[in-house]
Amino acid sequence: MLQIQDLEVGYGKSSEGAVLKRVDLSLGEKEKAVIVGPNGSGKSTLFKAVIGLVQIQSGSVKVFGTDVGEERGDTRVSTNLAEVYRLAYVPTRDIVRIFADLKGGNPEDALKMFHEFELDSILSKRVHELSTGQQKMFGNIMAVNFSPKLILLDEPFDNVDENRRRRLIEVLKNRDSGIVIITHEFNLLPRLGDWGLYFMLEGKLWGRFSVSDLDRLYITRGEARDALKIMETSLGKLSVTLDHGDIQVKTASNVNALLEQV
Amino acid sequence: MSLLKYYTKGILSNRNLWFWGVAFMLFWLVLGAYSFAQGIPQVALRGYTASWYGTIALYSLSSLAISVAYSIYFAGSSLVYSFKYTKLTPLSYIGTLLGSSSVLGILLSAIMLASTYGFYTARFGLNLVPSDPLGAIAVSALAGVFMMTFAMLLVLIVVNYVGLRSINLVTFVPLILAFGLGFTSLTNPLPSSFLYASPYNAIQALLYSAYSGSAAPVQLDNPASAALYWPYLLISLVAWIVLLLVVDSILLRRLKPRQLEEGRQI
Repeated sequence: MLQIQDLEVGYGKSSEGAVLKRVDLSLGEKEKAVIVGPNGSGKSTLFKAVIGLVQIQSGSVKVFGTDVGEERGDTRVSTNLAEVYRLAYVPTRDIVRIFADLKGGNPEDALKMFHEFELDSILSKRVHELSTGQQKMFGNIMAVNFSPKLILLDEPFDNVDENRRRRLIEVLKNRDSGIVIITHEFNLLPRLGDWGLYFMLEGKLWGRFSVSDLDRLYITRGEARDALKIMETSLGKLSVTLDHGDIQVKTASNVNALLEQV
Repeated sequence: MSLLKYYTKGILSNRNLWFWGVAFMLFWLVLGAYSFAQGIPQVALRGYTASWYGTIALYSLSSLAISVAYSIYFAGSSLVYSFKYTKLTPLSYIGTLLGSSSVLGILLSAIMLASTYGFYTARFGLNLVPSDPLGAIAVSALAGVFMMTFAMLLVLIVVNYVGLRSINLVTFVPLILAFGLGFTSLTNPLPSSFLYASPYNAIQALLYSAYSGSAAPVQLDNPASAALYWPYLLISLVAWIVLLLVVDSILLRRLKPRQLEEGRQI
């Protein structure tokens, strides 16, 4: 479904501008995964590379076997990034209809979901007129509709109230498609069951772990002998260990807090 | 089809277009009828009215180019995504804009046509009905398409090769050219070869001919100057559109992803 090999992306010409550094990731059909990392670690850039919104410096990204640079008209991939839903300067209700047409889906399915999330009021507004949380929910609903096979969700719970977060998680768990979520929050992860878990630190991706093991994961400074993975960071080497270690991952509310503790 | 419908709706909801492309142009039409029209012999009234229609409709249509340019610019990321992960193709997108800009071109020009007829007939007490309103509508549709293809070319060059910091400079080029070329040919006898080659002057002269029913002179406010042959003007305009469409479709296939923030400049 998604194969990323040796991916490097940067915004500057020097190596110091590299945001993603030799990232590898392979996800099979209908696989669900979460990528957690602190702000600025390169999570969103990774998604933008998959969507085609940043230029790849080296390496490759293949979606359903096709290099992202060669992708044309593959309606199976969707995202919640609000910037991709600005094809026309019209209210979001019309954007729903445009993308339903372009994706070959039924707009009423998406409009019904807006109603279920009590978001009918945002349908008369343009994307830029929405609050941050409303934009996020608009993107989330657009991403999960029109029968996608790979859903990419960038911080889908940011600025979303608890009630909607809970309902969104249920929607995602019931979707029969591959899903990748990137987030910096840990506290929602236990609700995702046995999804794959990856850490993104300073542009490098480390994994695969399992969300169901979150209670048992620890971070230890240095190289632990029985480490599941040793992550090289500017803080030095950090070992991911099971059942013992310096800091239990789940005790931190998010990755930023975890790194501060380390 | 839904993109064509909603894209057109989006452009029509642009208040800048309604102010600069319609209200401001109507203001100039009124000035042309009531302030500048002093001592014009009755035989020259039709030509005088047609020159105002041709020039003001050109200005109005060029403001459409600005709206189209910004709509493409703001849709940049969405287009990159949509070409990869929806059924939208560069050709179907260009087709959408072709349809939309021809409709909008007709609409803007029809407003100018009706207003010109109303203001100038009322002012001079003479029924100055356009000689060929259908011809004017057809030229307006082509003019709308030309403005779209030109605006798209400018935006795609900026996005793909120059960088978004130049976007605000470049989007006004169609309007600046319209004012410069339109006004110059109104009061100066430009070489006919230049007028045939310039799509702006071709639009202005064709609209003049459609309103007046006679060939446009090289200097619009001097009916005695040499006449332009309208089929050449039409061929020139169509050739420009075809050329721009080819270049646009090549550049659109190579559309580079850019962050809108890059275009932010104080």
